[in-house]
Amino acid sequence: MHNSDFSQAGFLTRFYLRRDWLKIVFWLIGLVGLMGAAAGKFDGLYGTKSAMNSIVTTLKTPAMVAMFGPFTANPPYNSALIFATEMMVFMGLFMAMMNIYFAVKSTRAEEDSGILELVRAHCVGKYAPLLAATIELLIINLITGVLETLSLIAANMTGADNTGSLIFGLGLAAVGFMFGGFTLLMAQLSDNSRGATMLSYLILALLFLVRMMTDVSNPDYTWWSPFGWIEKLSVYDENIWWPVFAMLGVAILTVGVAFYAYARRDVTAGLLATRPGRTRASALLAGPFTLIFRLERTSFIVWMIGMFVLGASYGSIFSTVGDIMKTNPMMAKLMGGSAVDAANQTVILNFAALLSIVFVVLSTVPAMQTVLKLNTDERKGWLEQIHAKSISRLHLYCSYVAVALITGTLGLLLGILGMYTAGQSVMDAPIPLDRFLRAFYGFLPAQLVTIGISALLMGVVPRIQAISWIVPIYGFISLYLGGLLDLPKWATHLTPYGWVNKVPLRAVQWNLTWELVLIAVVLFVLGFIFYKRRDMVEN
Amino acid sequence: MVETVVKINQLQKKFGKVEALKNITFNVYKGEVFGFIGPNGAGKSTTIRTLLGILRASGGSATIFGQDVWHDAVAIHSRLAYVPGDVYLWPNLTGGEVIDLFLKLNHQEHSDKTDELIEQFELDPTKKSRTYSKGNRQKVALIAAFSTDADLYIFDEPTSGLDPLNEEIFQKRVLELKQAGKSILLSSHILSEVERMCDRIGIIRQGEIIETGSLEEMRHLTRTVIQVQTKDSLSDIAQLEGVHDVKTDTAKQNKVSFAVDSDQIGIVMEVLATKVILSLQSTPPTLEDLFLRYYNNDSQEVNDNAQ
Repeated sequence: MHNSDFSQAGFLTRFYLRRDWLKIVFWLIGLVGLMGAAAGKFDGLYGTKSAMNSIVTTLKTPAMVAMFGPFTANPPYNSALIFATEMMVFMGLFMAMMNIYFAVKSTRAEEDSGILELVRAHCVGKYAPLLAATIELLIINLITGVLETLSLIAANMTGADNTGSLIFGLGLAAVGFMFGGFTLLMAQLSDNSRGATMLSYLILALLFLVRMMTDVSNPDYTWWSPFGWIEKLSVYDENIWWPVFAMLGVAILTVGVAFYAYARRDVTAGLLATRPGRTRASALLAGPFTLIFRLERTSFIVWMIGMFVLGASYGSIFSTVGDIMKTNPMMAKLMGGSAVDAANQTVILNFAALLSIVFVVLSTVPAMQTVLKLNTDERKGWLEQIHAKSISRLHLYCSYVAVALITGTLGLLLGILGMYTAGQSVMDAPIPLDRFLRAFYGFLPAQLVTIGISALLMGVVPRIQAISWIVPIYGFISLYLGGLLDLPKWATHLTPYGWVNKVPLRAVQWNLTWELVLIAVVLFVLGFIFYKRRDMVEN
Repeated sequence: MVETVVKINQLQKKFGKVEALKNITFNVYKGEVFGFIGPNGAGKSTTIRTLLGILRASGGSATIFGQDVWHDAVAIHSRLAYVPGDVYLWPNLTGGEVIDLFLKLNHQEHSDKTDELIEQFELDPTKKSRTYSKGNRQKVALIAAFSTDADLYIFDEPTSGLDPLNEEIFQKRVLELKQAGKSILLSSHILSEVERMCDRIGIIRQGEIIETGSLEEMRHLTRTVIQVQTKDSLSDIAQLEGVHDVKTDTAKQNKVSFAVDSDQIGIVMEVLATKVILSLQSTPPTLEDLFLRYYNNDSQEVNDNAQ
């Protein structure tokens, strides 16, 4: 392979794996640990027949179908079947996220930093870096899938068979690799790593929403979304193999297109070309605050529209979710007209409470990113000149924090508004906006505290500030799955999100709200004090 | 008495256990161009970043306009313009936008001078920064700095990516600033540039300022190369005090070249005069000679330490 377009791909693959090994280990511990721990717990959770029947009833409600996918197995039920339904979509999401992360890291990010140019200047084949990135993803997914399978076999749930465990693990590996492929393609379209990540997440969001909508209306249509194919594996029930190969097929096809696109562009260029811009700065671009807004403009707009669309998609299934006539006709008949409406609303508000967790965690992401940029932008050298101007560190810090808070607050609000607006149009007995806004007032302070924690870590431990992400990620897992996994109270209380009650179903706890706001203020002030006193991070 | 603009006294900076700056002491006076030279990794940029309040000094003191560089950074920066050695710009802003932003951050406006500079440096301001080369990014920072009305200009290896034409524009602009009574701190690797523009020079080595003064003063500390042909024999010249590296021209009789310590020139000349000089050529040491002398001593020491 000395003179071919692929020469040195093997060497580069080993190099990428060595460069990323610590990060790979962290993802592996997270994903496999989550899977294994949940599997180990399941027999204890749903050991009795009544517990089993009640969870199956719950899983068959449209709200749960929207969150986790349909429960299609036939009786007799066992904990393995329930586990497969509860965990499949959820694990699939995380597999996709892992692949987007590593795929961007090994391709577009290398180009942004100029490393690819250096590598290509050596006797390395034209396609070798992309091939190495592809092989790296394949290896990571394969290891993850196999370890997940082994953890399932080790957990030995009632009703689990080895074939099912194998399909589960390899199915997840396949869906992960498929999203890795999508991301490799996006990395060719966009000419910077942020753009590539954003496009990849848009694809994930789109495919996830199509899956959700079709699952709720008619699971046969879930075929439209490749993400929905993992549900068709029918793990521990029929154990169907071929969606695994379908996903691999899509992955190979996408990777092929990515190679084709890669061959047709210059290094550091994207297929979506950069256009010339303004000769002079607009009057609006006049200081750190407006600068950060200007830089985050595209990402801000995408997030805000994304949050609204996500909220609206969930809201659009409220009529199905809040129809206990359908899910429990006996009870509905017993209760009578207005009681049914009230019960329907309770179901919807319960669903909305769960969705609010999704909204608050998601809207925390761009906000936290902005706070952490105070260091990452510094490391890129972009702030060096700002420091040499008559701009105080307080001014700079406040600008980043302000943009972060606006992004987080507006994102949460738009998610809830989207849910309300779409829900309004489909419900027979609409719920007033005030009721939904309880979720906003209830969860916003928890979001502030989370962002405050990242501000403090940014100030104190700039080198490892990324550990801030543990707070929202753990918060999401513990609260989204917490109810089904029967997590103890202290475990859900580890993140600020867990302190909030079930808004909008319940009333806002205003005392807690103000306490959280106060804690957040203290965190932001402490973050600034540490930030002000230290050296700037060098690149 | 000339006004002192930058005053650095025994400045120290430690990164953990590494002593990046051990003892930095020098002043920059009003209306002068101060050249700051030294090998890679000697601490030039660290000194400048400390002066800008980006890094916090571990010891000693540094003031600009009589104000502390850490505590009064904001006040100082309103009278200062800075161009770093590696210019990194926000990739999705155009050069024009960045120039205007930098001006506004110092409460100044885009002026006719700005347009003139953009034209002179031949920068296309409508291009996104991610498409600029290193030299073009440097131009953006230089245009912003030169169109800023400041009292102190700090340039950290500002011409490393510029072509010779633009380098000349840079030198012209700096001399204009000097004539307008501004102070300039210029860190550079291009010694001819420093030699041409700087009134005084500071040489830094391993975190220490080892020499400051004008080029004239420094020349006194070193040797002048003399090439001479005489009528009488020059065989005893090597025995004179302060004479080094005697090389005899084999083709011509009584023609030698040697280096002589600056403070011994007088005595050596007297001796030469007695031998009837036929031709004589004396070359004053260039900054490069000075620099290399310090630099070589430096590696010599490192070698000694290694043994």
